[in-house]
Amino acid sequence: MPEAGAPEPIARLIQEFSKLPGIGPKSAQRLAYHVLRAPEDDARALARALTDVKEHVVLCDTCFNITVRNPCTLCDDEQRDRSLVCVVEQPLDVLVVERTGGFRGLYHVLHGSLNPIDGVGPEQLRIQELLRRVEGGGVVEVIMATNPSLEGEATSMYVQRLLQPLGIRVTRLARGLPSGADIEYMDDLTLSRALEGRQEL
Amino acid sequence: MAARPRVYRAEGVILRRRNLGEADSILTVFSGHEGKFEAIARGVRKARSRMRGHLEPLTRSRVLVAQGRNLDVFTQAETVDAYRRLRESLDASAEALYCLELVDRFTVEREPLPDLYALLVTALDLLEAGNGAAVTRHFELRLLALLGYEPHVDGCVLCGERLPEEETLLSPAAGGLVCRRCRAEAGGGRIVAVPVVKLMRFARRATAAEFVALAAPPEVAQELRAAVADLVRYHLDRDPNARRFVEGVSALERKD
Ligand SMILES: [Zn+2]
Ligand SMILES: [Zn+2]
Repeated sequence: MPEAGAPEPIARLIQEFSKLPGIGPKSAQRLAYHVLRAPEDDARALARALTDVKEHVVLCDTCFNITVRNPCTLCDDEQRDRSLVCVVEQPLDVLVVERTGGFRGLYHVLHGSLNPIDGVGPEQLRIQELLRRVEGGGVVEVIMATNPSLEGEATSMYVQRLLQPLGIRVTRLARGLPSGADIEYMDDLTLSRALEGRQEL
Repeated sequence: MAARPRVYRAEGVILRRRNLGEADSILTVFSGHEGKFEAIARGVRKARSRMRGHLEPLTRSRVLVAQGRNLDVFTQAETVDAYRRLRESLDASAEALYCLELVDRFTVEREPLPDLYALLVTALDLLEAGNGAAVTRHFELRLLALLGYEPHVDGCVLCGERLPEEETLLSPAAGGLVCRRCRAEAGGGRIVAVPVVKLMRFARRATAAEFVALAAPPEVAQELRAAVADLVRYHLDRDPNARRFVEGVSALERKD
């Protein structure tokens, strides 16, 4: 809530900050006053970064990852294996998989997961685009790297059924225990799946 | 309403989750004794959270909840049933989500509905055991009955006349079956075949397991689905969101 006494431009900034995820009214206030105290150049750089992100960042026509050039550098990289497509929920997930350095295929970003109760169906995600991409040929395996949540699993199963008639191999990530987790407090589902995916020591 | 204790226990099914801030979630639980309620699970989205897997939607859990200033807070959670087989079937997941949405839409917070809770758990157990859409039909019809919306299927709802064994008008607005002579006053509806009427009557006395075991032919099941959908839409004033998903999933070609 903008403070009653705050001058209009500051109140407006507080209001805008408080729309951001994870920013409560107190944090919004702190951020706004921080910007106010910051050097002029910093404030301008922030403003420019904000408008640039909307003006120059687009979705790649092939993988729907966020990019400044189309096709994105990943899709454009001749060294990558075009027969493998890793399907993720969010653009951030691409970065996470890339960071492992263990995947040399391409990606497909769905921009969410199925949440039928909240009205998020296949039409709200980039699922038809994935189907068309695979129908276009050259893809041998689709790796579903959606979250191991109810929504993520439903999304994986839905895509699997959709792609089945094309004779494509559809796999999903193995589900194990999160590192740093405590077996004692692990839920049955995670634990029983991790047991199934056990490996030779 | 009697004051709840500062810390209370509940056993319930997690209906839905919405994220709050960086690491918290607000979960909607449907329990028998507390009814439907919301509480916040702090830090539940962190990998190391102890409660994480126990508070996933479509999990039956025992929880310990502390009253908070605004929202109550989960302090412990333990899975009773994760419905693992159900989650691994796209069709069963879709049916289950639809049932969860019905419960969410038809209930208000903190109204104890132990019979509806038992009905939900039975439906989820039957889906877990590999049963299909018939589970949902029984669940819908019994839910309507428990909440006071049971359609009248013995004779005409308007004049009380016995109904001959022939296709009959089912009118959600009138509250059940309507004879030929009363059709004009029924306020619309759908003509249903004799087997559909019989299934609706059977659902009143049959347990969910008995109803599912009946295995209606596909065209009858399809017609019953549409008829019950009419009733649900009439009482909710809308279609549940998950219905589209259930239909989309069953329309996808299956080859397994
Ligand atoms: Zn791309
Ligand atoms: Zn009549």
